[in-house]
Amino acid sequence: MREKYDVAVIGAGHAGCEAANATAKMGFKTLLLTINFNNIAFMPCNPSVGGPGKSHLVREVDALGGLIGRNTDRAHIQMRALNTQKGPAVRALRAQTDKHLYQQYMQQYLEMQPLITIRQGEVVALDRVKDLWRLTLSTGITFDVPAVVIATGTFLRGRVHIGPLSFPSGPQGQHPANALAEYLEAQGIKFKRFKTGTPARVRRRSLNFDAMIEQPGDCLSHGFSHWLPWNPRQPVSCWLTYTNEKTHAIIRNNLHLAPMYCGAITGIGTRYCPAIENKVVNFPERDRHQVFIEPEGLNTDEMYIAGLSSSLPEEIQDQFIRTVPGLEAVEIVRPGYAIEYDVIAPEQLQNNLAIRGWPGVFSAGQINGTSGYEEAAAQGIIAGINAGLYLKGEEPFTLGRNEAYIGVLIDDLVTKENNEPYRVMTSRAEFRLSLRQDNADLRLTEYGYRFKLITAEEYDCFQKKRQRIEKKLNYFNEHYITPGSAQAWRLKELTGVEVKQKTSLKQLLRMPQIQIADLWAIIDPAQEAPLEDEVVENFIKYEGYLEREAKMAARLAKMEEKKIPPDFDYSVVPNLSFEAREKLEKRRPATLGQAGRISGVSPADLSTLLIWISRSSKS
Amino acid sequence: MYESTTIAAISTPPGEGGIGIVRISGAEALTIGAKILRHPSGKTIATWPERQVRLGIVVDQAGEPVDEVIYFYFRAPRSYTGEDVLEIQGHGGYQNLKKILTSILQAGARLAEPGEFTKRAFLNGRLDLTQAEAVIDLIRARTDLAQKVALKQLQGRLAQVIKEQEEKLLALLVPIEAALDFPEDEVPDLQRARALDEVSKVRRRLEQLLAQAERGIILRDAATVVIAGRPNVGKSSLLNQLLGEERAIVTPIPGTTRDFVAEIVDLEGVPVRLIDTAGVRQIDDPVEKAGVEKARQLMDGADLILAIFDAATPLTPEDHELIRFLSGKPALIILNKTDLPVKVRLEPLWAAFPQAHFLSVSALTGAGIGELKALVRQELIGTEGLEEQPVLVTRVRHKDAIAEALELLALVQQGLEEEWSEDLLAVNLRAALQALGQISGRSVSEEIINEIFAQFCIGK
Repeated sequence: MREKYDVAVIGAGHAGCEAANATAKMGFKTLLLTINFNNIAFMPCNPSVGGPGKSHLVREVDALGGLIGRNTDRAHIQMRALNTQKGPAVRALRAQTDKHLYQQYMQQYLEMQPLITIRQGEVVALDRVKDLWRLTLSTGITFDVPAVVIATGTFLRGRVHIGPLSFPSGPQGQHPANALAEYLEAQGIKFKRFKTGTPARVRRRSLNFDAMIEQPGDCLSHGFSHWLPWNPRQPVSCWLTYTNEKTHAIIRNNLHLAPMYCGAITGIGTRYCPAIENKVVNFPERDRHQVFIEPEGLNTDEMYIAGLSSSLPEEIQDQFIRTVPGLEAVEIVRPGYAIEYDVIAPEQLQNNLAIRGWPGVFSAGQINGTSGYEEAAAQGIIAGINAGLYLKGEEPFTLGRNEAYIGVLIDDLVTKENNEPYRVMTSRAEFRLSLRQDNADLRLTEYGYRFKLITAEEYDCFQKKRQRIEKKLNYFNEHYITPGSAQAWRLKELTGVEVKQKTSLKQLLRMPQIQIADLWAIIDPAQEAPLEDEVVENFIKYEGYLEREAKMAARLAKMEEKKIPPDFDYSVVPNLSFEAREKLEKRRPATLGQAGRISGVSPADLSTLLIWISRSSKS
Repeated sequence: MYESTTIAAISTPPGEGGIGIVRISGAEALTIGAKILRHPSGKTIATWPERQVRLGIVVDQAGEPVDEVIYFYFRAPRSYTGEDVLEIQGHGGYQNLKKILTSILQAGARLAEPGEFTKRAFLNGRLDLTQAEAVIDLIRARTDLAQKVALKQLQGRLAQVIKEQEEKLLALLVPIEAALDFPEDEVPDLQRARALDEVSKVRRRLEQLLAQAERGIILRDAATVVIAGRPNVGKSSLLNQLLGEERAIVTPIPGTTRDFVAEIVDLEGVPVRLIDTAGVRQIDDPVEKAGVEKARQLMDGADLILAIFDAATPLTPEDHELIRFLSGKPALIILNKTDLPVKVRLEPLWAAFPQAHFLSVSALTGAGIGELKALVRQELIGTEGLEEQPVLVTRVRHKDAIAEALELLALVQQGLEEEWSEDLLAVNLRAALQALGQISGRSVSEEIINEIFAQFCIGK
């Protein structure tokens, strides 16, 4: 008799690992299935985590008790602070990781969780058997579970293209999951095709770094994680070089061999991660494009050539890479490629990441039409939490657009038409000054603790931090600098600001010339604590903006409170425009707020809907 | 949409009736009331007894009196909308009610959407379920109408100007956003001096629009012009001349115009609601008497009264009564039937209307009608030609949106001057675009993302 599980997670990539961790922490016996046990938390594209928006997601997942932040901190080989001068809303971290260490640490961690069982196997069928879902593996064995998280990445009917060559494949030569895609489609799941790609990997010893610009890491006092003590590594450098007209000429002359341009690929590609072919075609006026050379790890000779993603034939890739300074004698380890895969058409997704009409089945990650490890992890933890809540019979958990980038991401996924793999961006967030990296724990850790993803010790540590922040805020409110005092003199010396009347520390901190560190230096250097001070400082300096966003959020919340029953019959509502009715029936928004964000639903449609929903809930 | 904000609107149709009602609904109703209402003595109002008639004075932001009014307070949930409601009854002229409304909006209320009072009433359970469908139809009809009006306007010059400003702001915002989201890609740095220049240009244009807004709002909402005069003086003939077609029943028998004829007419580009009244005279016919009373109410609420006298006969007692009634009201004195020999004595008219314009016309031949139209327009919106006013803001909502955008752009300008961080520039620029979007209906968030990828080669 085989072990019984509460939940099965299909796929052990960045979404699957988070989902399995969440369900296990919530107390459920979790089966984590991977198509290849060697590839848990594999990074098939660049060896980096973070950047604006993405970094925010990592901090949020970490604040909820997820894994990506801690694991990145442990596996990092370089860390940079981005946008340091562009304001608190957009400050971000970006890490280069050692891919192998990343996988190793993640696997180690998951294997240590008593409630997680990792197992290699390809799921080929998912059937409803009484109240359970029966997973059938290609080897014939089955598992019956009440809840399932599908996190299959780009594996569903994956097809790799390298020039005219194309073959069924998962990322980086792995076995694709064709049977499962066909099975799900036969059961009524609608798919669409997306496309992504990756550049060639090259051998370090074949490169000439003298012809490139070194990009060293920053020495930072913190990493991503709120919980793991920061243990910076000796940073490893990346390198910058550029393409040139010769590169572009080779690409232009061989466009007919590019699957994107000869019609072999029907899937839709990304704009923010374009192949070099696309850059050359779309920006003919540019005489050069950046190429970043990034190490794949400490103990490998493989290097990633960011910016040269391509699906031209390997021979052509070899030719054009050689035109780039420093890469003249390049040895390709593996060629770049494009991959097409199935994603679930978004109208089947609900905002708790449950698949409509499939009770207890959730999906997360690239299968939902996103791109990026961070986006996958963010969905993974939410799908995991919701699978847990489903098993407990509790209300679903969703985050608002005003609460987290995770909320923005998932709301966008279920309400907008995405014509390319979705990438988070700070410009997608309406509440940018509220959704900062520095306050991710203040926004989300209560939830993490409620769902038991945050331990009691971590929560205790968080509460103490929160108290210290409150104390500091009060302190700044209640303490003043008086003209002529020694403190006033020192302030003038340090910042040039002259105190002309008794002024509170809070008012002083609002001045652009004054930083919180200046005030501590004058008043009490012992109180300086950069991580907390950043929160305090942002709260005081940007209070007006935060209030504005809070007001906007309150208005939004009113609309979000108006739930639309999942089985609501739009056909009985008179006066809805044809387009609105069609979209609403397809998308089935969970709230009136979501309905309003669906394109084609007008304010008049919303008013009509509001009244009919109130009516049907009363009768 | 359904929100927690406090809303206000003029609740009576423009220009009809001696009084007009402005209604405020929402949690802030009394806070706003306290800001704009004073005791007749000038003192602030501290207590708000429920459902009692009170006399008060509405003041503007500067504390200057706007109108003497009566007001009622209805405490939630015992009000029409189920929220706190303050109802203010002012003198009925559109100009006057608009001033009251402006004070209220400046004190923090938002202009109500079409049908919003009814909608709130429904949502707060003040209407029963059988009324739901009627409410839906109502909202739908009103919103569609409003949309049609908005659409018409959007096809016009205002839309063009707003769009141009949006484009300029978008052009500023896109590179800022691109640099924020893709710090490692090659996006040029923000040129603060050039950006400042662009922002001030947009601000100047929007300030112009705002300055013109007052007059534009009259243009859209139709001023009320009442045609008054004793029976058979030629009111209906004059109305027909102004309308350019036979509308009212024109007969030589006094008292034939029993019902009022109200027509919206475009007078030299100014929309005017023309109302023909029953003759002002004292007779015992109760129908006629009621008509006379109504006519007086209409004249009280009018933006302009066209007082018609018969040039071919001496002034009658009825004429004298009209002269007394019109004293102090905005009137244009029209001497009709100048195709006949003049027999009227003008001295009493000159004495009674020292400020008014006098004009001779013949409603029969059409002589003087052109001058009359020009004079009406001048009385309503001043002497400047519309040609000098190429773009007009014609709705209070649009005016508010422009004002909001201006406030935000002032922040952007300050931010550029004081070198604020780029995230704040982006946040304020975006909010300004959102404010303009209330006029243009344009939602820029997807556009910004599209433009980032169209303009910059992003992606490692």
